[in-house]
Amino acid sequence: MDLDLTPEQRAFRDEVRTFIREKLPSEIRERLRAGHPPRKQDTVAWQRILNERGWAAPHWPKRYGGADLGPMERLILLDEAYRAPAPLPQAFNVGMLGPVLMKFGTPAQCDHFLPRLANLDIWFCQGFSEPGSGSDLASLRTAARREGDHYIVNGQKIWTTTAHLADWVFALVRTDTEARKQEGISFLLIDLRTPGITIRPIHSIDGEHHLNEVFFDEVRVPVGNLVGQENKGWDCAKFLLSNERTGIANVGLCRERLDYARELAGRYTQAGKPLLDDPKLRADIAMLEAETRALEITNWRFLLTDSEQKRLPAFASVLKLKGTELQQEINALLARIVGPGGLERRSADEVTHGPIAPRYFLSRAASIYGGTTEVQKDILAKAIVG
Amino acid sequence: MNFELNEDQAALAESLSRLLADRYGFEKRRALTASGAAHDEKTWAGLAELGLTALPVPEALGGFGGGARDLLPAMQAFGRSLSMEPFLASAVLAGTALRLGADEAMQTRLLPGMASGEIVSAWAHDEPAGRHAPLWVETRAERKDGGWKLDGIKSNVPAGGLARYFVVSARIAGAPADANGCALFLVDAKDAGVALREFRLVDDTAAGELVLTQAAAQPLANPEDSTRTRLAIQGTVAAGIAAVCADMSGAAQAAFDLAMDYLRTRKQFGRLIGENQALRHRASEMLVSLEMARSMAMAAAVAADDASAEDSAPDLHRAKLSVARNARNVALGAIQLHGGIGMTEEYAVGHYLRRIHVLDQMFGDADAHAARLAAALL
Ligand SMILES: Cc1cc2nc3c(=O)[nH]c(=O)nc-3n(C[C@H](O)[C@H](O)[C@H](O)COP(=O)(O)OP(=O)(O)OC[C@H]3O[C@@H](n4cnc5c(N)ncnc54)[C@H](O)[C@@H]3O)c2cc1C
Ligand SMILES: Cc1cc2nc3c(=O)[nH]c(=O)nc-3n(C[C@H](O)[C@H](O)[C@H](O)COP(=O)(O)OP(=O)(O)OC[C@H]3O[C@@H](n4cnc5c(N)ncnc54)[C@H](O)[C@@H]3O)c2cc1C
Repeated sequence: MDLDLTPEQRAFRDEVRTFIREKLPSEIRERLRAGHPPRKQDTVAWQRILNERGWAAPHWPKRYGGADLGPMERLILLDEAYRAPAPLPQAFNVGMLGPVLMKFGTPAQCDHFLPRLANLDIWFCQGFSEPGSGSDLASLRTAARREGDHYIVNGQKIWTTTAHLADWVFALVRTDTEARKQEGISFLLIDLRTPGITIRPIHSIDGEHHLNEVFFDEVRVPVGNLVGQENKGWDCAKFLLSNERTGIANVGLCRERLDYARELAGRYTQAGKPLLDDPKLRADIAMLEAETRALEITNWRFLLTDSEQKRLPAFASVLKLKGTELQQEINALLARIVGPGGLERRSADEVTHGPIAPRYFLSRAASIYGGTTEVQKDILAKAIVG
Repeated sequence: MNFELNEDQAALAESLSRLLADRYGFEKRRALTASGAAHDEKTWAGLAELGLTALPVPEALGGFGGGARDLLPAMQAFGRSLSMEPFLASAVLAGTALRLGADEAMQTRLLPGMASGEIVSAWAHDEPAGRHAPLWVETRAERKDGGWKLDGIKSNVPAGGLARYFVVSARIAGAPADANGCALFLVDAKDAGVALREFRLVDDTAAGELVLTQAAAQPLANPEDSTRTRLAIQGTVAAGIAAVCADMSGAAQAAFDLAMDYLRTRKQFGRLIGENQALRHRASEMLVSLEMARSMAMAAAVAADDASAEDSAPDLHRAKLSVARNARNVALGAIQLHGGIGMTEEYAVGHYLRRIHVLDQMFGDADAHAARLAAALL
């Protein structure tokens, strides 16, 4: 038993670290460090730089622009990106749609889309949730009826993150209203410039525009944009939702935010003394660092165990639950540290004053998206209790 | 022991709730913030009409001589409706500071106008470097040409942009942390050397940073009387703590009510989400927290009114600590029970977390009060 990287892995980590140090524009780094979310142009610019090295989609095969890297190397890339901090590769493209296409798509779909997804020439968003279908996703009602070479789509999606920045959406639509609810769903790729699509912004609790409603009114989608078989879209959805495990614990993010918490606690003073002089605050930081370390090792154990038999069933839910809880606690800690100095609402142009309190509010979403905490606990309970 | 409102308190709470339901429904409040307005002038006029602005003012000066107990239901109503009115800043904080710290002439000059709502004043005491230290004052006051001049910066002055006058703490002697050596001054917002950088806090309420550069200032009373100044500052902070505890408990109540309604209407998997035991248990935990917050909001009001009672100070600290913590738990739970809709600005429930977060940071956060109580254990 040991918890060390191999010499090759260490060399790889150093290579990645040097690469990021040399290539990441300092303005992007400073914005992220201060707590701003990455802007679209930052994500695009950085992903293209990574893509030249095959590191935008490192786990994909080389022929589609990946680097055929294993889970540990992928984790190293992710941790180093958080550590910098650098924007992460666009998750809808790289973590979600790409693997779905490789598993269920036609060769033509793979050849067309995968290189563009990796290079972020096309920005995809995820159109799953609907007003009446959140946790109960399979009850979705956005409908697609076949007319010749097209599907005609009618309905509404909600909570569609970055739809206003996106070129395309991958959506779950109902193609058979008679079947059992999971069996009448199809997975469609829809160009957002198609007539009949309306996107309405939703401002979230942090005051920013990340979320949208997307309305479909007689939208014509070529049948060639169906992924997998008609009425088998639920297989794609299940695969997509369970496939994305490497980043689910967000260990690197926890670590980076804790480092920033230390930095701020050294910089902010109370009655003339740095906050770090307060033993209670130091103990709280130390506790969260210990928890982060526990999550890191658990993450390694779960992701790097090669035999399915030795894996805990539903282990992804363990990572999601704990990762979410830690992220939220760390964001609360940061908001506590900036204290009254973090109450002023500032514009996103003020690079050095990040939206620490607003990000704390937004961190509450982590226990809602990607399967709510209640849903994750139900999944785990089913696995352990039966 | 008695936990009920008396007849007058109940009647006032009732009329206020009606006014706020009429003028401060969530959609109206959204329109108000979108318009860029710092508050709603008609509501403010309505508060004056109800006699609310006069409530804390002494009877001799046109008020009703009410204390924190009388303000409790009103502050709860402000919390429930996410009010942005300058009531805390002017009626509670500046009003208390004047009542405790100003001589008769100054009180006679200002309090009747504040009672009628025509004059809005603000309390400018906190400084960036002090953070949660209750008596940290770096702002300097010096005697010049027979008057006084102030230099310094006051941070997060609530309702700063609406104020005609500021009640400002400044130091005439000693180091920033000294308990003595301070005096309270009145500063006219229109005078030279008085600059206010206005902004919104993360809960949409208006605040400002007050920058004083050789600003003309009038002492509230004899500036050499440090003890009176200290007691006035402490009394003002106590009134503020009681008020924000009440406000937070009202905010928590509203978040709780929204969440319970949602459990009874939202369906997933073909049934009401409130049928799921996981959510029913969360609701029960939220109720426990809510009741703790309500109890400690009462304790804060009693402690602020009976400032001379022996254990009033510990109860104020305990209340600020406990209400913030419990109200926050309720708001966090209420958001979680709502799922995605709880994360938007278009829906009220998330606004309660923002408000409670802001109020937690005023007059010392939960940590600061825990530290003060902890120090007293030694
Ligand atoms: C910031 C953010 C970004 C998002 N981005 C996207 C996106 O890009 N694309 C997309 O498709 N969706 C996105 N979502 C939507 C997200 O997936 C849903 O919000 C989530 O699935 C929950 O659904 P809901 O909001 O309808 O809540 P509901 O499912 O209505 O849940 C309400 C409450 O009930 C609980 N609950 C529901 N069913 C049960 C049960 N059986 N047992 C116990 N408790 C239960 C939930 O846990 C929650 O507490 C995003 C959401 C957020 C907040
Ligand atoms: C120290 C002690 C003193 C006691 N004194 C007395 C006494 O003086 N007189 C007397 O009559 N009895 C007494 N009891 C018994 C006590 O009332 C029972 O233990 C209690 O009612 C629980 O019943 P149980 O032990 O059969 O556990 P169970 O009811 O079998 O419960 C097992 C677990 O399942 C949970 N559970 C059960 N049903 C549900 C549900 N619907 N939803 C969610 N969770 C559920 C329980 O919370 C518990 O965690 C005493 C018990 C203890 C430990």
